[in-house]
Amino acid sequence: MPPGAGLVRRVAGLPVKSSGENAVRRLAAVTAYGLPMVFILVPLATFLVYSFFWVDHTEMHYDVSLLNYRRFFAEETFLRVFRQTCLLCLEVSFLTILFAYPVAYFLAGLTGRKKYVLVMMLLVPLLMSYIIKIYAIRSILGGNGFLNRALLATRLIDEPLTIFVFNLNAVLLTLTVLLIPFAILPIFLSLERIPRNLLEASADLGASNWQTFTRVIAPLSLPGVIAASTFVFVLAIGDFLTPQMVGGQSGFTFGRIIYSQFGAAFNWPFGAALSVILAIIVILAIAIGARFGSKQGIAL
Amino acid sequence: MKRSKLANAALISITGLVFALLYGPIFVPIVSSFFTAKQGQIDWSAANLDAYVQLTSNEGILDAVKNTLIVGFSAVISSLILGTLIAFYYNSGTSKARSLLQFIVFLPFLMPPIITGLSLLIFLREIDFARSLVTVVIGHTVFVLALVYRTVLVRLQSLSRNLAEASYDLGASRWQTFRYILLPNLSSAMIGAAVLAFALSFDETMITILVTGTQNTLPIRLWAMMRLGFTPDINALVAIILGLTTAFCLIAARHLMPKELVQREA
Repeated sequence: MPPGAGLVRRVAGLPVKSSGENAVRRLAAVTAYGLPMVFILVPLATFLVYSFFWVDHTEMHYDVSLLNYRRFFAEETFLRVFRQTCLLCLEVSFLTILFAYPVAYFLAGLTGRKKYVLVMMLLVPLLMSYIIKIYAIRSILGGNGFLNRALLATRLIDEPLTIFVFNLNAVLLTLTVLLIPFAILPIFLSLERIPRNLLEASADLGASNWQTFTRVIAPLSLPGVIAASTFVFVLAIGDFLTPQMVGGQSGFTFGRIIYSQFGAAFNWPFGAALSVILAIIVILAIAIGARFGSKQGIAL
Repeated sequence: MKRSKLANAALISITGLVFALLYGPIFVPIVSSFFTAKQGQIDWSAANLDAYVQLTSNEGILDAVKNTLIVGFSAVISSLILGTLIAFYYNSGTSKARSLLQFIVFLPFLMPPIITGLSLLIFLREIDFARSLVTVVIGHTVFVLALVYRTVLVRLQSLSRNLAEASYDLGASRWQTFRYILLPNLSSAMIGAAVLAFALSFDETMITILVTGTQNTLPIRLWAMMRLGFTPDINALVAIILGLTTAFCLIAARHLMPKELVQREA
């Protein structure tokens, strides 16, 4: 800084920099860039590089190869579980939307305090321990659970149903129940943004309620629906604890396979490679969601 | 939105069903917490507080709660400092690198937690950093950073530039402008972000399970206990946590609800 610059800056109403302040500024810049680099970017890069290493009889080989990726595409088991998991998560998205749309529509139609209290009530279960919820859902669906007892009591069935425990159905139902709130909110927001006068105009022009819904409301809320399904899909496919907990032997998902590579199987590079594949699917889903959905919904 | 009676009835019943689905899994443990179970059968005849008394002597759980609180507060403080710093940096700078920085900050929030967790796990092993509560705090900070950063940035961008300029005109230094002008204007956004970040950290399971050492946080402790089945005192803990959370939400709603709405209602 040239001599007298401080005075000029002060007269001009600009902040006066001292050398101490400069040092603080530099430190702030280093922190703002450095910490995210060290704790986000570098680990992700390490992880990506790791996926090209390989393990042979518990021995790590630190040289680059496509072995892990080849193994994934060569072994039918992995591909099958992968397809199954993608399908499962699509089903979860579909089911949550099926439940979430009417709820969002109902909430958007309410006015005043009632609306905010109900929306708030949707958020409370989200703050509730995730593990406890899975446990409770399992105990409701289980062989000796509330559902079976209720059905037995009403004599709808003669012996406890086992179709909802420790299989993919259980994973599907549990994930759906857990993720419904995440689907309701984006749809609710997209419905809220529809200007009232459009609905009035539609009615003025002689459209029935049903026509107004199918021609005006549904298309305008579509971005919210797409954002919601992206949201749910991404959350569902990344979840490895729910399937672990309610899936049993037959409810194997991709997330569980990845997790097992870091536990029992102890093949970190292969696990890393599988996670990279998972990341690609997630990026694709987000890209599709961002292309067709509402930006606000995604940014929620 | 006008609709027929039939459509209305259908909407109300679906909404009712969804609320039942959401609240069912929460009420089961709470109701169970007041009754004693014998041989897998719940004795419905007498309500009691035994489970709550047992909870006070369950060292493992209380220890886990303590760890969870320590991790939560540490993650909130570090993410607030770093998130605010990055928000200021993004808002005041002009360089292209800022968008890249923002993208990096968003990554752990967009990617599934398993990827954030695994990348940290591999990274920590490569640099020989032992897993402990410190690594859990790092994991949680990275996870909630995007949320804190975004909340603070949105508020910062909504503030008029005149505020800071007036402050400089009156001879305040950068630090004084930050401390006495900007910070007070940001405080409500920062409090909101802190509350949300804490809530996320409190229940974070998937990253934690990958980066934790021998000390457990509450979700990890519960996860480990789940294979054996829960004891009644867990139900009591769930009831207490839900009570506190709900009370907290109500208070937050009172203070954070849009002002014009509250006035219109009053």
